[in-house]
Amino acid sequence: MSEQRRYFHEIPVGEEYESPGRTVTESDLVIFSGLTGDYNVLHTDAEFMKQSIFGERIAHGLLCLAIQSGLFNRAATEYATLGLAGLRWKFKAPVKIGDTIRLRAKVAAKKDLDKPDRGLVTIERTIVNQRDEVVQQGETDLIVEKRR
Amino acid sequence: MSVKSTYFEDIEVDKIRETPAITVTETHVSLYLGLTREPSASAAGVPAALPLCMSIGLGWRVKEPPLAVLAFVGLDWQIVKDVRVGDTIHGRSRILSKRPMRDGGFVVDERSLIDQHGDVVQQGKFTFLVAKRKEVPA
Repeated sequence: MSEQRRYFHEIPVGEEYESPGRTVTESDLVIFSGLTGDYNVLHTDAEFMKQSIFGERIAHGLLCLAIQSGLFNRAATEYATLGLAGLRWKFKAPVKIGDTIRLRAKVAAKKDLDKPDRGLVTIERTIVNQRDEVVQQGETDLIVEKRR
Repeated sequence: MSVKSTYFEDIEVDKIRETPAITVTETHVSLYLGLTREPSASAAGVPAALPLCMSIGLGWRVKEPPLAVLAFVGLDWQIVKDVRVGDTIHGRSRILSKRPMRDGGFVVDERSLIDQHGDVVQQGKFTFLVAKRKEVPA
């Protein structure tokens, strides 16, 4: 089981991944609002949003950020990840109900950490929609185990 | 129909807001994993992005009207300590800066999530584009 996971030294800088697509549905928005308590009108009030510049409800930015985290795991061979250390993220364009998003990712950098059993892997990530427009973009720092 | 909001002009820089707390449960984790299909929960059992996602909802539970957000522009976030199922977290928020634009203005909101021991578990900065009073949010 653990042999299918890739350790720090087995992850080459420059490696690229592309995930399958995932259609963002009304159910996703409703579940995410219930889960997080974020009932902003942007995501929950269809009538109000008809009058907005978007013309309809849009997905929570953090919903799509969370979905891409799952998409990464469907695109790349699983890492021996110990945790997430941090992220830097830009929300570039709205995601609407029915849009299909996918993740493009690349191993941007690796560095050793103070503890000898782990290292930091920085992944560049871009979420695109069905028209290939960039909707979100950023970097995440993953703490990945080194093989003993 | 008007929605009660805090507009750009009304935002006070440096004012600290504390949110009520929420206990992170197995149910939150199950719903989150089903929604995102993220297989690799951390060793602590709570995916690191889940408390981040919950921080926005916590911000809605303060008595002040929510920011009239036109767009969530970006975030810079650090995970400081694992969150475990059963931990009770709350948010603390402080507006670091506001910069007016022609339409609305940029607001940088420094946030931290704090557990029942008083330890910061996650922290960072959110940047929002917030409407001015004359504009309709979104």
